Amino acid sequence: MTAGPVVHDVNTLPRNDNVHPYAFSVALNGQWFLQKGKMIAYYGQISFEGVGHGAFDGLVAGSFHSPLHAADWVVANGNGMMVLADRAFDVNSFDLDDGNLTIRSGNLLAFEPGLELKQSIVPGFLTLIGTGKFVAVSNGAVVFVEPPIRVDPQALVGWADCPSPCHHYDHGYMQGFLGGIRAMTGIGGASGEEHQFQFTGAGQVLLQSTETMQAGLATGAVPHQQGVPGGTPAGYGR
Amino acid sequence: MPFRMLNSKIAEAQVLPGQTMYSQRGSMLAYTGQVSFTPNIQGGQGGLTSMIGRRVANEATPLMTVEGSGTVMFGHGGHEVHVIEMAGDTLYVEADRLLAFDGSLQQGTMFMGSQGGVMGMVRGQVTGQGLFTTTLAGHGAAAVMAHGGVLELPITPQRPVHVDPQAYVAHRGQVQNKLSTALGWRDMVGRGSGEAFQLELSGNGTVYVQASEEKL
Repeated sequence: MTAGPVVHDVNTLPRNDNVHPYAFSVALNGQWFLQKGKMIAYYGQISFEGVGHGAFDGLVAGSFHSPLHAADWVVANGNGMMVLADRAFDVNSFDLDDGNLTIRSGNLLAFEPGLELKQSIVPGFLTLIGTGKFVAVSNGAVVFVEPPIRVDPQALVGWADCPSPCHHYDHGYMQGFLGGIRAMTGIGGASGEEHQFQFTGAGQVLLQSTETMQAGLATGAVPHQQGVPGGTPAGYGR
Repeated sequence: MPFRMLNSKIAEAQVLPGQTMYSQRGSMLAYTGQVSFTPNIQGGQGGLTSMIGRRVANEATPLMTVEGSGTVMFGHGGHEVHVIEMAGDTLYVEADRLLAFDGSLQQGTMFMGSQGGVMGMVRGQVTGQGLFTTTLAGHGAAAVMAHGGVLELPITPQRPVHVDPQAYVAHRGQVQNKLSTALGWRDMVGRGSGEAFQLELSGNGTVYVQASEEKL
């Protein structure tokens, strides 16, 4: 048993590590991107500038390729210790080494400019490419699993290195005579597990410990263009 | 043992051909292999009478049958999961706390009045358990959900255990439970300690208590 709460100061705060499962401390020397409102405290001289205007146009042009999310992100600039947290969800940092990782946009807290942020072609997801550290939240601890696997869409946090998932539907119990009655009348209900994301290939899939999602930020819309998933209704000639 | 804890909130189960598991609907997080999830119209085992019993008893938590071959991860609502191994005895637990359990366990419902008569019924009402509770008997494992971690407190004839009704999760063994009240005039004027009702469990067995007073 510890006697009372642990008291941190600028020297004892972890450097680029978790303070405890729900807070992460960044030793800032330069710039980091972070989602708005996720900084809970800082030591030192740190300024926060919106993405899309101001002094960091060059940095933003080089590392931030998702104009739809620009309004949700800021650049932290300066020197000091910065503590990040999000609604007491579990916080974890991950290192990418010349890799790629796709993550639900509401789950990404912050990342180093060594990484480039892009929008995944899967709506609602962001892709990080490059080398560096990023910080993500999850509801419960993150579990890494390897494909082939099928995942409840709400439990999915993200995936690394493997191809984008596809939808998997299983309505097997709706077949046959009794299944027909079930489908027609609704008696018996649904299992709630008819639909999963299916991952194949080599890589890792990140799951959170529950199917209860974070109340995510609006993920923005994709450009209304032909060939963009979710961008246009099906059909021709638009 | 079919359940393996991946962390405190995820239980991973091996599903083997010919062995059925039951789980709460919508609690699958991920699976590998070929596994099917079928909504269980009866809400569990035991045929039509059991189903009607559960419906009447309001213990009919939506269940699904898990069959096939593979590995399934279960987790629900961010609650902590606790695996209870059964070796021929009976587990008393609220149906909505059951995350998943082996099909080898016999599922049933128990009328609270059968343990303590009218006071048993009163106890069920006060504790929010209702008039009925679910029983699991036999050999197998059950994954039970709780808010906060689960404590296992042994009950011996010399040492009955008093539990806050809201923190009570489940119990097993030869256990008599009764509601003990400590109502006084302070409770009547709204100045009570907030601990006016306790569940007193005596006999031989184990009670599972969660580290929270939040009901699921």
